[in-house]
Amino acid sequence: MQVVALLAGVVDPKWRLERLGLHGAGGLVEEAGLPRRFSPFDEATLETALKLRDADPALRCTAVVVGGPASDGLLRAAMALRPHRAFRFDTTGLPVWDPRAAATLLAGAVAAAGGTPGLVLLGREFGDLDDGVLPALLAEREGWHFCGQAHAVTRAPDGWQARRMRGPREELLRLPSPALVSVTNDRGNRLRHPLMKNVMLAKREPLEVVAPAAPDLPQELAAQALAAVPPPSRGSGACRIAAGPLDAQVAELAGYLRAWRIGGAPG
Amino acid sequence: MRRILALVPLGDPALPDPQAATAAAAVLAVQHGVAAEALLVGRPDQVEAGLRDAAREGAAALHAVAHAGLGDPPAAEHVLHLAEAALEALPGPALVVLPAGAAGEELAARLAARLDGVPLGRCAAVAMDGLRLTARRATHGGRAEAVLATEARLVLAVMRRPPAAPAPIAAPAIRRSVSDMPLPAMPAVEVGPGAPGQPRRLEGARVVVSGGRGIGGAEGFARLDEIAALIGGATGASLPAVDAGWAGVSQQVGQSGAFVAPELYLAVGMSGTPQHLAGIALHSRIVAINPDPEADIFRVAELGVVAPWQEVLPRLIAALRDPAPDDTKDNERRRTP
Repeated sequence: MQVVALLAGVVDPKWRLERLGLHGAGGLVEEAGLPRRFSPFDEATLETALKLRDADPALRCTAVVVGGPASDGLLRAAMALRPHRAFRFDTTGLPVWDPRAAATLLAGAVAAAGGTPGLVLLGREFGDLDDGVLPALLAEREGWHFCGQAHAVTRAPDGWQARRMRGPREELLRLPSPALVSVTNDRGNRLRHPLMKNVMLAKREPLEVVAPAAPDLPQELAAQALAAVPPPSRGSGACRIAAGPLDAQVAELAGYLRAWRIGGAPG
Repeated sequence: MRRILALVPLGDPALPDPQAATAAAAVLAVQHGVAAEALLVGRPDQVEAGLRDAAREGAAALHAVAHAGLGDPPAAEHVLHLAEAALEALPGPALVVLPAGAAGEELAARLAARLDGVPLGRCAAVAMDGLRLTARRATHGGRAEAVLATEARLVLAVMRRPPAAPAPIAAPAIRRSVSDMPLPAMPAVEVGPGAPGQPRRLEGARVVVSGGRGIGGAEGFARLDEIAALIGGATGASLPAVDAGWAGVSQQVGQSGAFVAPELYLAVGMSGTPQHLAGIALHSRIVAINPDPEADIFRVAELGVVAPWQEVLPRLIAALRDPAPDDTKDNERRRTP
């Protein structure tokens, strides 16, 4: 039985996005020179896959980093955690902003892992261009059982058990194989640190890169623009900083909050 | 012109505001000179209230599909099944608007796969010119925006409630259907017991008290819970705080978490990243506590206290516990019949 962890990576949020844009006839995403890192959801996905492997030695864990050569650093980071196999599925020059095209590519990435997967894991948002559509779309397209936004996944006799918050309640879902679970960040799935010897090993090992077989991608959605946007303006932009001794500042804050407690806003 | 139809799943606790889709569809319909439609899917006992709400939100043509076999809450697979059947029969090109939230996004994606539609994701704006539809949606954690265009027959967009309320419809056209379609067998979902001290729901809260990475541990969140209880608010958290396990996943506010629209947002130990602020409505007033006077949160706050939370929160709790004269008068007024 195989667990496939699909990992997207995101542009490091500490970096400005001025260089972001589209180029080429197909509206390809230009992120030249922007460093990439795993998102919290990628990290939760990888840790969940590693936990499943640790709990059941019969499970084979494959980590697939989806992206261009700029994601090779992420591939080495995944390799340092010693999944059974790790490779990059090269999406250079492909329209990954189109959910249907991206789902087709991800299905190819899972197929490249070999065999029928028992479980496919990916972040609840897959990379910078997805806001939660891709996991459900991929599962439906492939006919896999689906659970969205799980924070823990364990093995069950007949498949998998996924825990998730649905509104105010926690649900436990039992999913037969093959299943796809999108993973959200949680205390229980924070990514472990690799051993230094494995980091060194991953630096020296050759990278495995798999090119997608010329996929027949849907072409009904066109990207017209992609650009950084300034944060929306909110408030007056002039924050009043409480002054004076701390007790006086707290008294002012308490007075302000009380106005909401009794039902009105301060003037 | 393409029809604009809101898909409203009723009775799902993961969708606290399902009629947000109707309101968004109604605003779009007014902009494009068409009548907004709404398709409601729920149990028979939920449908009448749902129809009234949809008319109040501006839908002029309503279609309710009731099925007695839907659970409480309904299984996503069952809602999908009923919505798929109803949308399949839809003639002509359509834009289907679903409510924002995990359940709405899942439904939109799976319907798109089943009906060969184009899923656009969570859209901030949609414009139509004949068949051509252009949508704007956030990318890169809300720091960038993509403009997408399509002429596909069926397009599905997830949208939040628009800031301006649409005009209610006094006498909408209503079609009620009772479906007896066999629903697929689903494995039972086990529901965990409500955790003691289950946090109050963020959605709909007038006040949200939220903590970030600067809180440094669960102890600080206990203080935030105390303040939230004292002022009748809900406790939220940033993604790093949830990551660290100081708050639950359902408390996460931001681009990747809940979108909240309180009147007041008290941000404690938060730097104010664009990804976090993307989860707070623009009209919400922000008050911040942070020891760093240069923190970005002060650029968007109305009132700020520059001090460590460890020094502020105990004093603030004591001050809020101490009834102010106005509170006493107010309580007396409330007690007086």
